[in-house]
Amino acid sequence: MAYITPRDPETLEDQQRYTQARLVEVACLDCLAHVRVKKNSNHHTSIQWTQQAVTECAEFTRMAASPEGRRVYAHCPRLAASIEHAVRDGDVTIGAEDGY
Amino acid sequence: MTNLQQSSRQLDLGDTPTRFARGWHCLGREVDFADGKPHAVEAFGGKLVVWSDSQGQLHALDAYCRHMGGDLTMGTVKGDEVACPFHDWRWGGDGKCKSIPYARRVPLRAKTQRFTTVVRNGLVMIWHDPEGSEADMDALPPVLEGVGTDRYTDWTWNVLDVPTAHCREIVDNVVDMAHFFYVHFAFPTNFRNVFEGDKASQFMESTGRPDKQEEGYGDEDLVLKSEATYFGPSTMVNWLETDYKGFITKVILMNCHVPTGPNSFKLQFGLCVEKPEGLDEKTVKYIGDKYTQLFGDGFMQDVEIWLNKAPVQNPLLCEEDGPVYQLRRWYEQFYVDKADVTAEMTDRFEFEVDTTKANEYWRAEVEQNLAAKRAEDEAAGRPVHH
Repeated sequence: MAYITPRDPETLEDQQRYTQARLVEVACLDCLAHVRVKKNSNHHTSIQWTQQAVTECAEFTRMAASPEGRRVYAHCPRLAASIEHAVRDGDVTIGAEDGY
Repeated sequence: MTNLQQSSRQLDLGDTPTRFARGWHCLGREVDFADGKPHAVEAFGGKLVVWSDSQGQLHALDAYCRHMGGDLTMGTVKGDEVACPFHDWRWGGDGKCKSIPYARRVPLRAKTQRFTTVVRNGLVMIWHDPEGSEADMDALPPVLEGVGTDRYTDWTWNVLDVPTAHCREIVDNVVDMAHFFYVHFAFPTNFRNVFEGDKASQFMESTGRPDKQEEGYGDEDLVLKSEATYFGPSTMVNWLETDYKGFITKVILMNCHVPTGPNSFKLQFGLCVEKPEGLDEKTVKYIGDKYTQLFGDGFMQDVEIWLNKAPVQNPLLCEEDGPVYQLRRWYEQFYVDKADVTAEMTDRFEFEVDTTKANEYWRAEVEQNLAAKRAEDEAAGRPVHH
């Protein structure tokens, strides 16, 4: 039972398009974490994590062990550097397709 | 169906849910319930009674007496119990009928629906779950250090009724970068979202629009740094640092809602201000009132949109939009049984909106508006502002 049920089957295609299309796997250069990334422009970044990747992220593990804990908005600078690297290597291409 | 209909995009209005979200819902300030009287709260398609017992402990039950359906909110508090106005059945905070003054004994089955009630940061939180699970204390919003002490002003509290929209509309704002320009008259220069587990965050930096001075957030001297997080489906804590001509104020804005029916909700907001050192109470109160008005106006602008818009399941997005589909995927976890929550709904997701182009176009638009205004003023012989 969804919270608002779509009536049109095409809506499910839209959901797939906006949440899954063109995500490229990027491995962190410093730890075992793998995430999926999309960049519609230089400044835009979309990062899809998995629970496993969050557990494997060395930076997040360090934050979680600190007295104030890991806050949801804290991001991993090592992963950001890894994504930049993947862009330079051409593994992640920059550009949007019709708004997604 | 004509060719035109086939080629044009249709809105999928969807079907609204038959259930209400699982999670903590905020009912307002503790002080407003502490007068020893039963209080009525419209929530989850019905009505609740909330009262404070002799120890000051708050309780929440379904408002209708399980005897003959009397309205407990019209009754009285007797000792620690709420007494029905119809036949004086006394209900305790644990949901059990404690006594019936005219009866030999209380039926064993005299148990009504209760809601676990916790006061956090001076605000009343109740746990709602259609599956009837134990309240999840870890899902409460965090304790806000210093709130409730002399360091902060007391909470203000306002309620806006939204009778014809689903509360998802307000949650959608978490990702809606562009509406801050059009609805709230600000330039959002930085905009980022993170969703993980039961939390959804928005980070934004914005400045007011000079062509909308005195309207909404429209004041070019007002720079906002905002970090807002939903802790569960309905309670957002918004930490704001406002810079007004170099004068920095720290404001905590609580933005929360209670669904009242399948397509209606009550929006509530309250704020407290960290008292700047060296300012007298009167000035601090003035600042608090000013921000209450500012955000109150902002929410009114949102409500106006919601009351007139169509629900949409299949929003069509452009590159400058935030992650609406991912936000709704996150929000769905509160509307399915706990056992049906998928990894997709709770997995961490980060999104940075590219605001560069949008702000370029918006700056140009605002410049045009200002030029038009100057020309109008000159033509009318009014003094021209620069």
